[in-house]
Amino acid sequence: MRAHPIVAAAALMTFLLTDAAAADLAAGKAKATEVCAACHGADGNSQSPDFPRIGGQYPDYLAKALRDYKAGRRKNPIMAGFAQTLSTQDIDNLAAYYSSQAPAVYFKP
Amino acid sequence: MTTVTLCVPILVAALVASNAHAQGAPAPASSAPPATVGSAPAPATAAPPAAAAATPAPQAAAAATPVGDPAKGREKTVMCQGCHGIDGWRTAYPEVYRVPKLGGQHEAYLTKALQEYRSGDRTHPSMRGQVAVLSDQDIADLAAYYAQGGVATARK
Repeated sequence: MRAHPIVAAAALMTFLLTDAAAADLAAGKAKATEVCAACHGADGNSQSPDFPRIGGQYPDYLAKALRDYKAGRRKNPIMAGFAQTLSTQDIDNLAAYYSSQAPAVYFKP
Repeated sequence: MTTVTLCVPILVAALVASNAHAQGAPAPASSAPPATVGSAPAPATAAPPAAAAATPAPQAAAAATPVGDPAKGREKTVMCQGCHGIDGWRTAYPEVYRVPKLGGQHEAYLTKALQEYRSGDRTHPSMRGQVAVLSDQDIADLAAYYAQGGVATARK
C-alpha cells in the first residue's frame, strides 16, 4: 500500500524526464541563434513589426507553425526557406526554447 | 464648392477600392484628373489588370489602411473569446495544439494574420470562418486591441 505513492511518483518523474528529454533547450538555443534570432530576436522579442514575437508563446503552437511552413501548408517565402532546413527534432527544440523565454506575448482574453 | 471638396476624397476612395478589386469602377467623373491613372485601362482582359493591380496594391492598401481602435477592438473580441479567451485552450481540429497567445503581439503581424485567414492564404478552418465576416476596420481594431501594451505588459 505504501509503495503506491512512491511508484506513482517514480512514474511521474520518469514521464517528466522523458518529456523534457524530448526537446533539447540548449540545442534549441544554438539553432535559434543560427537561424531565427536575426529576425525574431535571441529571446523571441522581435523588434520589427514585420516579424512576430514568439518569446513565451506556447511550444505546441510554435511547432505547429514551423511544421506548416515546412510542409508548405502555411505560405511565407521567408519562413518556407528556413523551415525547410529544420528537422522534426530542430522544430521541437526551437519551440521549447522560445516558449521558455521571457514572455514577449501573453494570454489576453 | 463644398460638394466638390466632399466629392474628391470620396472619388479617391472609390478609385482605391476599385483598384484593389482589379476591376475598373464605372469611373463616372471624367473630370477627375491625375488620380485616375490606375483605372485608365478599364477594358483590358482579366490577366493583365490582375498583375497590374498586384503592384500598386500595397501602396493603395497602405493609403486606405484603417487605424485600429483598441477600445472598439475589445468589443469585437466576442467571437475570439471562445478559443483565445481561455488560457491554454486547445484546438480540436485539424490538429491539437494550444491556440496562440495574442497579447502584446505586433499589431502589423496580427493584421496580416487576420487578412491572410480572410483571403485563404492561411487555412485554419475555424479562423477562416470567424474572420470571413470581418471588415478591414474590424481587423484593424482587433489587432490594435491585442497588441496594446506590448512587451511591457507581457513582462510586468
